[in-house]
Amino acid sequence: MKKLVSVLLIAVMVLSLGLTGCGKKDKEKPVLKIFNAGEYIDKSLLTEFEKAYNCRIIYETFDSNESMYTKIRTGETYDILVPSDYMIERLIKEDYLAKIDWNQISNKENLNPDVMGQKFDPDNEYSVPYFYGTVGILYNKKVVDKADLADGWNLLRNKKYKGDIYMYDSERDSFMVALKALGYSMNTSNKTKIQKAYRWLVKQRDTMDVVYVTDDVIDNMISGNKSIAVVYSGDGALIMSENEDMDFFEPEEGTNMWTDCMVITKSCKNTELAHEFINFMCDVDNAYLNSQEVGYSSAVQPAFEMMRDNDFKGIDAFIPRTGHDKDQVFRYQKNTLRKYYSELWTKVKAY
Amino acid sequence: MKHFKHMTGPYILWSAAFIVIPFLLIILYAFTDGGLSLMDASFSLDSFQEIIDPLYVTVFSRSFQVGLITTALCFLLGYPMAYMITKFDEKVQPILILFTTIPMWINLLLRTYAWISILSDNGIFNMLLGKLGLAPVSIMYTGISVNIGLVCNFLPFMILPIYTSLSKMDPALLEAAYDLGANKLQAFTRVVFKYSLPGVLNGVILTFLMAISAFVIPKLLGGGQYTLLGNLIENQFISVGNWNFGSAISFILAVVILFTISFLKRIDPDDED
Repeated sequence: MKKLVSVLLIAVMVLSLGLTGCGKKDKEKPVLKIFNAGEYIDKSLLTEFEKAYNCRIIYETFDSNESMYTKIRTGETYDILVPSDYMIERLIKEDYLAKIDWNQISNKENLNPDVMGQKFDPDNEYSVPYFYGTVGILYNKKVVDKADLADGWNLLRNKKYKGDIYMYDSERDSFMVALKALGYSMNTSNKTKIQKAYRWLVKQRDTMDVVYVTDDVIDNMISGNKSIAVVYSGDGALIMSENEDMDFFEPEEGTNMWTDCMVITKSCKNTELAHEFINFMCDVDNAYLNSQEVGYSSAVQPAFEMMRDNDFKGIDAFIPRTGHDKDQVFRYQKNTLRKYYSELWTKVKAY
Repeated sequence: MKHFKHMTGPYILWSAAFIVIPFLLIILYAFTDGGLSLMDASFSLDSFQEIIDPLYVTVFSRSFQVGLITTALCFLLGYPMAYMITKFDEKVQPILILFTTIPMWINLLLRTYAWISILSDNGIFNMLLGKLGLAPVSIMYTGISVNIGLVCNFLPFMILPIYTSLSKMDPALLEAAYDLGANKLQAFTRVVFKYSLPGVLNGVILTFLMAISAFVIPKLLGGGQYTLLGNLIENQFISVGNWNFGSAISFILAVVILFTISFLKRIDPDDED
């Protein structure tokens, strides 16, 4: 018996040696591990970068900032992340990020100064803007009455459209909708206001039969499965370019002005390559291809202008609203407050 | 046979590393309150207190309902299918069994996405209804779509054990029953069904366990509209990051499943000794 086992073991070892032998050439290349949101990059750019810099990219995606955080927190390591504003603030505070060496980003001039220097990272010490936008309501012009749009976020509670609404499955954005509909700040820590927002969401689930989706909202709205959806402006632009019945608006009560940035983690060893990648993504042609693929408004200004004047001409969702005083940026939440929101959010979803 | 005992060694190691230790960790998380890190954790029943919320009790009962409905439907569809397969020529049977398992070769996500495009509001099913001049129905993101998805995915797990039981049956038993004056129905209930009972129980246990803890299918076909235990647990672990609460739910689910199995095993005639 023992003989058989050892023969088998040797066979397995020899085989695995042979197999790894083939992949050896690839193994020697430097590796860059990237963690980005789903449907948020033109993948051909990754292959191009691999060729140009003779490296290997491990690319993984997440479906929300929160799930990204949990994964990092449990010990998974990445070189580059693409989180949103408030999550960047949290990662900085909890010491997960390495500083950006701006001398290595020669394409710095291409970046839109308006999306730089925001409160979550005032001097852009840690973050290089990637895409930016707002959250708004995408609606089917043929179904939704123009006059109803004056309701703003409360359009999502209009009984006329019962069973015809997609909400976005994101804790902070859902609460943003409810808080804004009630006229509060989306960064509030006032528990009475948060409770009211919670009841707004529960009531909405109860009376409107809303469906919570994430990236599948894109395909669903392109095929026109429902008439109203809460979407990020970039998804809205992409959907509008495929389905001309759709239109987008940002409610008067204010919305979330978000910025997603590329950041380098403390665990990143090959920081030079990581900087090369960030610089590569800030190149005008690359940013243009990227924006074309995902539909979001690029932080690389010339690429944004090219998209605005050509591919997405006339699609207003592509030009995020600026200068509206009720629009806000998400801020970092203390642990206790975050837990309070999470518990209520779990309840909204379990309802 | 004795010297084969040594060969269970690796298996014991394996189950210790991948079943026992993770389960102990779940228990540890369930009864503490330290969040993600176990370093500064202290004993606490907070998570269990949280579950008593009527809202979560609803989720529990909803999951059981889904589990029972799925199991019942799988049984009603699976038993006749398994029975019919045994009636075919012995050379044809393996091919038919192969057909029932072919869907399992395709990725579960892919199969579920296929159901989405069939059942969605503008999907294939509603298009057919439209062609027939009927009003469209909204099936997607309801209990119906979730149950359809679950039944479709778990049916093979009901058919296979029942088929295995039935195919072992000696046809002479049936002849004997007829000889002793049983009619067709009596022969079926008293001989065939009794003989297949172990297979039925295995099938029921398998499908029920999978249905009650499923989360991908309810997530995709239920659209967050239909939260089951699996979704609640996934949500706590992946996005909320409250591992203590997630572990507490998992712990209760595990206990419930253990009781269900031991109860069902008692019915099993094979286990009498």
